[in-house]
Amino acid sequence: MRLIELDGVNFNYGSGQPWIFRDLDFRLESGSCHCITGPTGSGKSTLLQLIAGLLSRPFEGGVFRRQGLLTGLVMQDPQVQLLRQTVGAEVAFALENLALATEQMIPMVQRALRRVGLFVSLDCPISNLSLGQKYRLMMAAQLVCNPTVLLLDEPWAQLDDRGVEELIMVIRGLVADGIAVVISEHNPRSFDGLVDHFWQLADGQLKPGIYRTQHAIPLKAMSCGDEVIVDTDSFDYRFVGDSPLFSCEQPLQVRRGELVTLIGDNGAGKSSLMKSLAGIQSNTVALPIRVFGERPKAGAYGARLGLLMQRPVRQLFENSVLDEISFSLKRFELPLENAAALLQDLGLEAFAKQSPHKLSYGQQHLVALASLVCYQPQLLLLDDPMAGLDAEYFDRFCLMVNRLRERGTAVIVSSHRPLRQLPVSQQWDIADGMLTVSYALEEAYYAS
Amino acid sequence: MPVSHFSRSQATPISSRSLWFAGTAMVLALLLSSAAFFVPQVYLPWLAGIDALLVLHGVINKGNLGGLLRYILLQLLFTMVLYLAIHGGNQVGQGVMAVARILLALLPGWWLTSTVSAEAIGELLSKVMPSKWAFVIVASINLLPFMVNEAREIYQLQLLRGARISPKQLLNPRNWSELCYCVLFPLLVQLLKLAQQTATAARARHFGHKSRRTHWRPGQSENGNK
Repeated sequence: MRLIELDGVNFNYGSGQPWIFRDLDFRLESGSCHCITGPTGSGKSTLLQLIAGLLSRPFEGGVFRRQGLLTGLVMQDPQVQLLRQTVGAEVAFALENLALATEQMIPMVQRALRRVGLFVSLDCPISNLSLGQKYRLMMAAQLVCNPTVLLLDEPWAQLDDRGVEELIMVIRGLVADGIAVVISEHNPRSFDGLVDHFWQLADGQLKPGIYRTQHAIPLKAMSCGDEVIVDTDSFDYRFVGDSPLFSCEQPLQVRRGELVTLIGDNGAGKSSLMKSLAGIQSNTVALPIRVFGERPKAGAYGARLGLLMQRPVRQLFENSVLDEISFSLKRFELPLENAAALLQDLGLEAFAKQSPHKLSYGQQHLVALASLVCYQPQLLLLDDPMAGLDAEYFDRFCLMVNRLRERGTAVIVSSHRPLRQLPVSQQWDIADGMLTVSYALEEAYYAS
Repeated sequence: MPVSHFSRSQATPISSRSLWFAGTAMVLALLLSSAAFFVPQVYLPWLAGIDALLVLHGVINKGNLGGLLRYILLQLLFTMVLYLAIHGGNQVGQGVMAVARILLALLPGWWLTSTVSAEAIGELLSKVMPSKWAFVIVASINLLPFMVNEAREIYQLQLLRGARISPKQLLNPRNWSELCYCVLFPLLVQLLKLAQQTATAARARHFGHKSRRTHWRPGQSENGNK
């Protein structure tokens, strides 16, 4: 049964702006599962909004929607979609808007939570949930009113591998119930066997197939120096008044030039550990961690330490990209020419005078990273730096990390899934409440 | 299917007595907050006494006063520096009194949000104003903790990038503009983006679909007031 059909849709964000969609066609049948792929900034999220009927700007072309059709859209970042403080109230929000009787809500909310495998108290504060659980909560908040179409924006980036497996099982059940599902995704292969139709969105049109880019710049394997940048004794990572989040029974050590990955599921404590290394995580018990031989303290390391948090576009504030990258150079009294040279290497010199707020998501992400790389810190902490970025941006990320490591910078990268084929010297895994360390072969020899 | 393991509790509908409590608390908070600015100085100790009882009740209900106290200390510091710079040492007492009034105005609001659920506030407000307005007020209350966290993280990010905004550096008023420029400005940008995303998220869940909304009645919570 035809649910939605887009016929020759043209759309852009204002006159003079490049076309996002150009003569775009799409047809959605009940019980089908589609996956839309495409480069960062190609308009995948905008297409989902168009299908959901949420696009606030005008567009040209025909849109057919079955009468009384209910669509549900789960956007990329669950954090910005949360409207309430407790799980029950969040899921019930759609029911309130559809004016359902109060007494009907509780069983419907419980059923929606069960459907996504989220068995939590209805009074449970949302702040207690991990990011992956919040994503499933958002799905329940859509499924509660039995939509005919469910749209999911980049779920792979938000979920760990276990979360993706659970999501696939949930979607399978929905499709079997006749719900049409559309997923926009950078990593479509994760949904093989589930998706009926793969599409690539490029140059404003949808074409059958999967968008692929060639990842051309690998991270280089490099030898490490002897100078110790980070070292710890064994420790329990614990917030004040809580039970330990994880324990680390062996001392950790990071030397000059090392590339270390920190892997763990959503909510395992990766971001908190990164912040503790930078000295900005409060509310934890005293930890036997030393960075540059000192106990971490916010701002104490100056240009020796850089931290890229999740959603790094938050830090952008200058009027131009060049000023943004130069900011730390000015404050640390380093040569300002580094900024222009780095922009040129990244192929972003054309944007030097532009406001960073007008760049695409991927470009903003790169500018935020470049603003740290330009002052060449000796320790760079990157918290999930690849989230939502495609291979083209990953190349430029590798370019910057390679350059820093050639100059002796130790780099620690956190991720919620293993970063395969990276020449890491150590991998720190947080699982089942334990932080364990595995070394690369030559490192294992060195460590022994 | 593998699932997260949490206990599942049955939610019971909120009683109308709790809604009455919520309504009374809103009126009381409004009156006490207004009084903090309007009552003569001689009555301020009485107001402080009432607010102390509210703080006690809020703390018993697991309210966290830490953020508010940190803000007041910061406000006191800024105000003192400004009074010293503008008036010299003569009018420091007036500065302290101004900050005390701000504290007394904020405490009832803190107590209200610690003891009454945002949903109950929303339900009551929608009886006296259009549903959309009530939603905006409740959404703003819900966004407050998120924005406080955003402000903290942006501050930390910029501090690590070398911005002159450490507590010691902020003792120098010349660095205050840096705090505005590299913390408050990006925070404002985030707030605008968040407002837009929240509006889209609400519409994605059929907000505005019906002119009259119904209301989720949260379960009886541990403190009995939510």
